[in-house]
Amino acid sequence: MDYYLSQAINGICQGSIYALMAIGYSVVVGVVGLVTFTHGEVIMLGAFASFYTFQLVGNNLIIGVIASFLASAFIGVFVFKICYERFFNAPRHISLICTIGTSMLLRNLAQIIFGPNNKPLLEVVPNRFFGQGVVGLTLVQIIVIATVISLSFLLFLFFNRTRWGIMLRAVSQDKTAAAMMGINVRLTSLLGNSIGCGLGGVAGMLLAIYYQTLVATMGGSAGMKAFSSAVLGGLTNIPSAAAGGLCLGIVENLGITISSASFRDIFAFIFLLLVLIVKPEGFAKKTGVRP
Amino acid sequence: MACILEAQSICKYFGGLKAVEKVDMQIEEGKIFGIIGPNGAGKTTFFNICSGMYRPTAGRILFEGKDITGMPPEAIARLGIARTFQNIQLFRYMTVLENVKIGFHIRTRSGFLNALVRDRRYREEERFIENEARAVIEKVGLSPYVDTLASNLPYGLQRKVEIARALALKPKMLLLDEPVAGMNPLETRELSEFIIRLNAEGYTIVVIEHDMKFVMNTCHHILVLNFGQKICEGNPAEVRRNKAVNEAYFGKGLVVGGVS
Repeated sequence: MDYYLSQAINGICQGSIYALMAIGYSVVVGVVGLVTFTHGEVIMLGAFASFYTFQLVGNNLIIGVIASFLASAFIGVFVFKICYERFFNAPRHISLICTIGTSMLLRNLAQIIFGPNNKPLLEVVPNRFFGQGVVGLTLVQIIVIATVISLSFLLFLFFNRTRWGIMLRAVSQDKTAAAMMGINVRLTSLLGNSIGCGLGGVAGMLLAIYYQTLVATMGGSAGMKAFSSAVLGGLTNIPSAAAGGLCLGIVENLGITISSASFRDIFAFIFLLLVLIVKPEGFAKKTGVRP
Repeated sequence: MACILEAQSICKYFGGLKAVEKVDMQIEEGKIFGIIGPNGAGKTTFFNICSGMYRPTAGRILFEGKDITGMPPEAIARLGIARTFQNIQLFRYMTVLENVKIGFHIRTRSGFLNALVRDRRYREEERFIENEARAVIEKVGLSPYVDTLASNLPYGLQRKVEIARALALKPKMLLLDEPVAGMNPLETRELSEFIIRLNAEGYTIVVIEHDMKFVMNTCHHILVLNFGQKICEGNPAEVRRNKAVNEAYFGKGLVVGGVS
């Protein structure tokens, strides 16, 4: 029983990383109006940005968060310029295919620049344990959860309290009407895309700290998890996407307690399939959609 | 009377289709200007050119003497041209109040830090916007629906939300694309009265409409388009008598000299 409980706690922690990735993913999908395949690469680059920052300035987590956010946000600008900016009025699959290509480009560039091997990222956070017996939290887990919660809170404030947040929500709901209200759709989408990517970058850093390792090809599975979590949440609904990420993490970790750790992804994707069969719109409530 | 919007031989082609062909138009400040014509006559295309959604193939648009041809829509909106859409384009997942507040929000100053600490400037601005938005909603008669999600409102009321949102921009000129489509006769008359009242407050209003009774009773001046070309222009009485207009709507009589 204790084992299951501690695995559930691990699940919550891992789920909160997925949640952050999914939040970023939902923000991106919201503003560009299309699923993206570069998110995994953005996450990977965020992880590498923090890796080199830690090497440069020592293990300072706050600087690491800022560096990974900024690096990934910058990649977000790059992705936006290549994949979206010219294709706002083009058929939607053009942007989609463009993101697939960009993702391949980024992944292979990363393998050339950073090398194809796993890199260790040890002892960023001292290995401390709080709790009784097997049930408890390590310091890493506390930091991960705290980072995710505080970033989500900041994002919530940004979206609901600021002019830019309101403009972003307007753009993600109706680009034409937003333009008519004097909102610069291009700039706002660029900003939203960068924020979404930045959050993905921080998630990448947390992933690297949590597993104490990073590799140029980590984006593939990370991006898939971000996508699955966001789909669970109905793609553009941010709180539901976060809930989706959390569920995915917990299901994965409970799944591997009854089998082997190599079946991790099987549980995640079977869970996704089951939810989509039962509730195709994901967790999000349909808020008054008219046909 | 000063001319607020001037179109100089505007053309818009989509491939081989001449949606708008050499249309000249002068809209006087403080008037209600109607644009009518059969379906596909190029009325909405013409609106899209005025509001910056399309770039005209040829010709110029002057707003208050300033050339706005090819400017992005958001810049034109900031200059003071607000519009509504034929197929309603509201922010569906926002309440009526939020929809209207967006128009005010783009002019506020406070940033993220102000919002984070909720300082005085932020709170004052928020209160100001809230009050202004409620006043606009009151004006169009949507007060009971302030907190309703826009997509949950019936069609006729959604149109009013669009008008309220356009008014939030404090425009000099209001472009209304088929504002009474889907309204019953009573609602139509109310909206007509409302538009006349707005006009009395100083808004210049351009309206596209199929409802002839509405157009004839509301507009001071009417432009008739057919197949992208201007076929007639004048006050309601003149337009009603015009032969080309009757032909465009009812077809040519088979008997020489007309049916009547």
